[in-house]
Amino acid sequence: MKRIKKINRREFLAAAGAAVSVPYLIPSSVLAAPGRTGANEKLTMAHIGVGGMGGYHLGDMVARRDRGEVNIAAVCDADEKRLAGAVKTVGHDVEAYRDYRYILHRNDIDAVVIATPDHWHGVQMVHAAQCGKHVYVEKPACCTIEEGKAMVAAAKDNKVSVQVGSQGRSQPEAYLAHRYLVNGNIGHIDKVNCFHYNSPEDSNPVPDSEPPAELDWDLWLGPLRWRPYNQRYCHGVFRWLMESGGGQIRDRGAHVMSCAMWWMGADGTGPVTVEATGTSPTKGLWDSAVTMDVTYTFKNPDWVLTWNQHTGNAVPAEERTGNEPGGKISRPGYGAVYHGSKGKFVHWGGDGGTWVEKKARQWELPAGAKDVYKSPGHKEDWFNGIKTGAKTIMNIEAAVGVANLCVLGNLSYILGRKLEWDQAKQEIVGDRQAQRMMYRPQRHPYHL
Amino acid sequence: MSISNPKKVSLTIAAAGVVPSVAVAARNKAVSKLMAGIRDNDASVRTEAWQSAGEVGAPAVKPLAKVMTNEELEVARAAKRGLWKIVRHVGRPDAADEKRVVVGKLIELLDDDQPVPVRREVLWMLSEIGDRNAVKPIAALLSDRELREDARMVLQRIPGRTALAALKAALKAAPDDFKLNIAQSLRQRGEKVPGLDCVKLIPTKETNVKSLK
Repeated sequence: MKRIKKINRREFLAAAGAAVSVPYLIPSSVLAAPGRTGANEKLTMAHIGVGGMGGYHLGDMVARRDRGEVNIAAVCDADEKRLAGAVKTVGHDVEAYRDYRYILHRNDIDAVVIATPDHWHGVQMVHAAQCGKHVYVEKPACCTIEEGKAMVAAAKDNKVSVQVGSQGRSQPEAYLAHRYLVNGNIGHIDKVNCFHYNSPEDSNPVPDSEPPAELDWDLWLGPLRWRPYNQRYCHGVFRWLMESGGGQIRDRGAHVMSCAMWWMGADGTGPVTVEATGTSPTKGLWDSAVTMDVTYTFKNPDWVLTWNQHTGNAVPAEERTGNEPGGKISRPGYGAVYHGSKGKFVHWGGDGGTWVEKKARQWELPAGAKDVYKSPGHKEDWFNGIKTGAKTIMNIEAAVGVANLCVLGNLSYILGRKLEWDQAKQEIVGDRQAQRMMYRPQRHPYHL
Repeated sequence: MSISNPKKVSLTIAAAGVVPSVAVAARNKAVSKLMAGIRDNDASVRTEAWQSAGEVGAPAVKPLAKVMTNEELEVARAAKRGLWKIVRHVGRPDAADEKRVVVGKLIELLDDDQPVPVRREVLWMLSEIGDRNAVKPIAALLSDRELREDARMVLQRIPGRTALAALKAALKAAPDDFKLNIAQSLRQRGEKVPGLDCVKLIPTKETNVKSLK
């Protein structure tokens, strides 16, 4: 096990040589170095953001630690109550931090799990990569087009393995769906309709107030522009803020559309047009679309992807016994219908629960048919990427491509007009306001 | 115009007087209707009102700004959303004339007599549609401690040499506690800033939570 290096801010600055000679004021020992963790060497992890999904990841990693698979060196959160809870969860030998940048400085930490609100994903992932840390970052990858570009560049430039938390791709039934579709069982697919229920409206808006004593509001806001604290920003409900979670299209769309892009062989591609309509909340702080319809047109090959967000629309159903690879369908309210020249195909979920139609589950791979990659598990796939350099199943390029769909859908909705997208240049075409909105200036010093 | 036909001339002058009055009346009616909707007790009525604000356009900018600090939270919110709707509407391609007028109105709202929350919001609106005419009034706010960070970020977003020049000038004049912020904006715009290093990776915040021994 590597020696744990504990350092406070004063020591950090002294080590960095607080004089102004190094562009990023990072000690050279921290900078990304080539080479990988040995196949038999235990990875040392740290967790940034330990509430909600962060708590789930921490519990999962503790179980792995208890099986002797990893070390956990540090936990970090802007909420000291959550942080204290995380320390108890992990138990001995774990350091607690409020400021994630201490973690990035530590030589003994190989990899970080980032499960902070969406508006932090881009900045923290880029910073972690620049400090040589492998990254598991929650979905959606990015809040803006420019963040996504920076994340892809950071992973490539610093040669770190990145897994984004669209874990649907690693589910057992997702593999079955992929090989079923890729072998033409429903023919040529020209349309994929994603379905989901509404985003919630804020039924309890309250005035701004002082933040609770345990919360570092400046740190929670991070890159977002300043505003007074309001209870309806956090925790968890950041999902319904357009500038953070972006509503269901980003929260679940990042899962459902991830499956679509993967099964359609469309990773690395993008739409040529995006057009969204929707209904707004009638009150409250949350401003993401309550209902929404988005149409993405792809060219070469030609196909259409839609996102339809309406509670009450009829959704397909399937009876199950519970003995299926994915068990019973516990979340039937979202998924997608694939329309092919020889029939249709349905899947439900797309995240930690991914369920596919019986015909795909029961289809046997004939001799000569194409098999597809079967993930050993989302974290396992990431660990493999760290140790061998193999691309992860939800690598940052693919994840940014999916997140861009969500971002563009929201932009079209906000602006009330159709957008044209140039995938090769990674930019919106012919709309200067939309082009400016591809990027969002970030509050100092919490920037890319 | 020839004065050889005075009757035609007087009819023309009369028409010129009548048409603008009709237009002004229609505009005022639209603004009044919008503002009545924004102030309504019914959330659905307020929502419908702010969503229609784009079509009302520039004449509604200042009336909406006045209501952005209304003591009724949801009325204030509806007014803010209505103003944003106008900004997004006039930012569309081929609406340069409409945009110019709205930008002019927004610039006037940066004056000291406006509350800080209004000016902060207006800054961000200008970040989306502001042109070089907006740069100087935005740059003036770089010396306002409450608004300087927003002003900096907004100048960072407005393309063109005028905004870049304003940031460079601001760096020279900035107090020490703001220089690094402006330096970051300049770096983001592709400029080198010798002598002022990026501090994004320096931790600054300690925790009171102790590890278990």
